[in-house]
Amino acid sequence: MLKEILGEVELFEGLSDDDLEQVAAISKERLIPRGDLLVREGDAGDELFIITDGFVEVLLETPRRVLVNLGTGQITGEMALVDGGPRSASLRAISDPTVVQVIHRSDFDKLCNDNARLGYIVFRNLAADLSFKLRDRNLRER
Amino acid sequence: MAVYKISYVVIGSDHPGGIVNSNERPQVGDQVNIGDQVFETIEVFELMPPRKDFHYIHVTCQPHNPE
Repeated sequence: MLKEILGEVELFEGLSDDDLEQVAAISKERLIPRGDLLVREGDAGDELFIITDGFVEVLLETPRRVLVNLGTGQITGEMALVDGGPRSASLRAISDPTVVQVIHRSDFDKLCNDNARLGYIVFRNLAADLSFKLRDRNLRER
Repeated sequence: MAVYKISYVVIGSDHPGGIVNSNERPQVGDQVNIGDQVFETIEVFELMPPRKDFHYIHVTCQPHNPE
């Protein structure tokens, strides 16, 4: 079941069934009540989130404003995973409950190191996701 | 199965819009839930070329006001 859900997430596009099983093995489901924070802007971050049900809002604390809502199939928290920097924004669940799959950075790194082909595909997809978000952001500024 | 990664930008409201995956291509006139609000689709175009089963779509929408 989880493997099928992950197969419809762009980050894992192009992975084999065996690859998806490996990703599922390092994913942990977390239910977030409406209004609760997944992460807080400025905190250290070592987790990637895959939204499998509901919505998460991405918000800046100062000045306080919501940048975008992310729904099913979206990944978030990836910037801290890639560059090791602090969280660039807070993430708050706005559905009840919001369901996410959580992948810890150490598990993610180990999987990519152990399986270079999988690592290449995932990082290529991660670049495509960031490109999409940049294009999306540009359109919002029109 | 095709997956449509859709960027929703809302006009006529301060709603931040959203990014959502769907198995159906959006169409002008569709109603869509973003968070807990309903919007009406008024523009659809391809944001990036598709990659295999994934299609990248931009949608402009406005608050839905049922008569």
